[in-house]
Amino acid sequence: MTTEEYAIEGLKNILYIDLGSQSYHVEERPDLYEKYLGGVGVATNLMLEEYKEGTGPLDPEMPIILSTGPLSGIYPTCTKAVALFRSPHNGELGESYAGGHLAMSMRYSGYETIVIKGASRYPVYVAVHDDKVTFRDASSIWHLSSAIDVGKILREVEPGAGRRSIIRIGPAGEMGVTYADVNVDTYRHFGRLGLGAVFGAKKLKAVLISGNRELKSPEHNAYRKTCNLLYDLIVKTGLTEKYHNLGTSENILVLNELKGLPTRNLQSAFFEGAETISGELFAEKYLLRRVSCAGCPIGCIHIAMLKRAFSKAHEYEALNISYDFELIYALGSNLGVADPEAVLELIEACEKAGVDIISMGVVLAWATEMQQRGKISTDETLGLELSWGDKGAYLRAIDLLVKAPNDFYRALGKGIAYASKKYGGEEFAIQLGGLEIPGYHTGLGNIVGLAVGFRHSHLDNAGYTADQKAFNHPISDEEIVDTIIEEEDRRSILNCLVPCLFGRNVYTYENVILALKSIGINRTEEELKELGKDIFRKKYELKKKFGFKFENLTLPKRFFETPSTTGMVEEERVRRAIEMYREKRGV
Amino acid sequence: MAKRLKVANPARCIGCYSCMMACARTWYDTISLKNSRIDIQTRGGIETPYVQIVCHACIDPPCMRACPLGALSKRKGGGVNLNKEICDGCGNCIEACLMGAIHLDAENKAVICKHCGVCPKFCPHDVLEMVEVEDSGEVKITDTGPAPDTSPVSPTASHKDLYGGEEPGEEE
Ligand code: SF4
Ligand code: SF4
Ligand code: SF4
Repeated sequence: MTTEEYAIEGLKNILYIDLGSQSYHVEERPDLYEKYLGGVGVATNLMLEEYKEGTGPLDPEMPIILSTGPLSGIYPTCTKAVALFRSPHNGELGESYAGGHLAMSMRYSGYETIVIKGASRYPVYVAVHDDKVTFRDASSIWHLSSAIDVGKILREVEPGAGRRSIIRIGPAGEMGVTYADVNVDTYRHFGRLGLGAVFGAKKLKAVLISGNRELKSPEHNAYRKTCNLLYDLIVKTGLTEKYHNLGTSENILVLNELKGLPTRNLQSAFFEGAETISGELFAEKYLLRRVSCAGCPIGCIHIAMLKRAFSKAHEYEALNISYDFELIYALGSNLGVADPEAVLELIEACEKAGVDIISMGVVLAWATEMQQRGKISTDETLGLELSWGDKGAYLRAIDLLVKAPNDFYRALGKGIAYASKKYGGEEFAIQLGGLEIPGYHTGLGNIVGLAVGFRHSHLDNAGYTADQKAFNHPISDEEIVDTIIEEEDRRSILNCLVPCLFGRNVYTYENVILALKSIGINRTEEELKELGKDIFRKKYELKKKFGFKFENLTLPKRFFETPSTTGMVEEERVRRAIEMYREKRGV
Repeated sequence: MAKRLKVANPARCIGCYSCMMACARTWYDTISLKNSRIDIQTRGGIETPYVQIVCHACIDPPCMRACPLGALSKRKGGGVNLNKEICDGCGNCIEACLMGAIHLDAENKAVICKHCGVCPKFCPHDVLEMVEVEDSGEVKITDTGPAPDTSPVSPTASHKDLYGGEEPGEEE
């Protein structure tokens, strides 16, 4: 079946934006959508087309590709857009997903995929309103101290309220912190791997997209029925309950009990203060409301209200801060912070700066240990003493890191792989592939998953779930590797479509096939699985071009010194499992 | 018995747009947000509470009075019925509705809530309800006892408990 026949509007268009010449054009690529459906499939192929050997992550010619898929914006919980870029953080494949209103706005604007190239000479933002694309001088909002405020301002100057998405960077992106994020509609982010720095290098402060078109529906009754079915699965069964109720932060106590919660730079995997930063505590004491990405009835975005006194005369300010598991790990257990309000304040500081919070937390944890071991002194930190649990010191460190007044802070702004090469402490720089680790120390599956994952993220293949399996009923290392491979392929397929991964148990093969069929796209399970394999090959091709080599992977000693959920892990065992993976995958 | 849609608990809205998607796909053969008869709006991005704009089921509808062609007639239970054949897209009704609950579709026909009862079924957060009213649209006073305690049985009462009831065998 050809794309023309499925006649879902927006399933052929690619909007090319050139920031250098402030021009744009639209290309129709039914061939790409036909084969790869959308999302990461289309984006990966476009990146292979666009990438010229030797182009650096921050070079103007390096493109940023944003893409949505055939299910985006039209089925419940299909809310994600993928961003593909070359990461300034580790030089490798930059891939990140964000929700908010972005996917829906892109879908209804008729541009399912957007490629942004070139660099502007002065700060700009780009506004896309249905088919109109405008470039506007953003000099007046460059240097704002908060990524949140950028949204507040653009909301006033641009139309499209409620049907638009505003993605923007904060000071960290402008300053080139290599793990700067892109804030999406205040509460969601393109978090990992430094898309914010790529925006900054292009002098791109923000992109605003609004769309309000109608899409054709070739088999409307089937579409309606499938919507109802998916909605019921999401709302009326237990499949997504966890994300709605306590949210991912439910995992703080769970992982802590399992001794898998990285604490104080992974010197331990158990945090004695977990109770007071648990999802339960945040929900009971601070949860103000929940919100959702446009098109998702789950409502997993947990917003806390922090009421802070600023004078003795009962004067208060109220801050609304979204929290989840990874943030509480990164700025809580991993920094020895057991005070929930301190965690919220640290989150807020990072949100304003516009940085990936996992990387920031791990960088600060590493710096703390460095200082405690006397490998750096107050000369490097400009007098600041870092110590576990010290909110004030960490707030200052975040501020200094973004402002980068000396070489040390500049190095911290490039991540711990870079900083530890310069200052030592590589054994306890808890990164894999140059990316600071997420909040799991569950065992072999986790470490292998992060090592082999396309972008070294827990979201590539959820290696920690393989450990969970192993914890319940011992399984062989080979089975762990197989679980990782299977999950990786499944996620590659989903990431073409693009549902939120919190809905992954709803979007089973069966339901994906039904959802596609109901909008006139016929695929079998075998075809989808083949697509997953194809994407795997294409992404590894891209990774290779960006310079990734298994031989260069360093495995910090710390992983093997701290007992995990499934016990001590030996380096040799991890290396063997990685070999096993490579053999099975042929990479 | 006549019924009308009511935005019963606006502050509970999570901005999922499920109601809009459901309305638009029920009454149009396309996929959109723009053809929804209920409109979920943001006033300060997602940072501030959502606003639900929908027909208020007026007892004496000003939109009807404003229509020069007589395309709108009184609906049993309040609000209006639209005769699409007659509507020519002049927009006078839009002006007349202070709620801002009317807009035009691609064919230049007014889009106004029919109080059909579909969207409350798709609201996961108890925002929307169908309420019984007199045929005239007047509110019926039936409850005279103390207001019920709406706090959940347990602070962690789940979505599933509230909306799906117990369903066995899904603990994973
Ligand atoms: S589960 Fe949460 S992140 Fe995922 S789409 Fe729904 S609201 Fe957004
Ligand atoms: S009651 Fe019916 S017509 Fe009115 S907004 Fe809801 S779904 Fe649409
Ligand atoms: S379905 Fe309910 S919670 Fe969702 S946007 Fe509509 S009114 Fe709000």
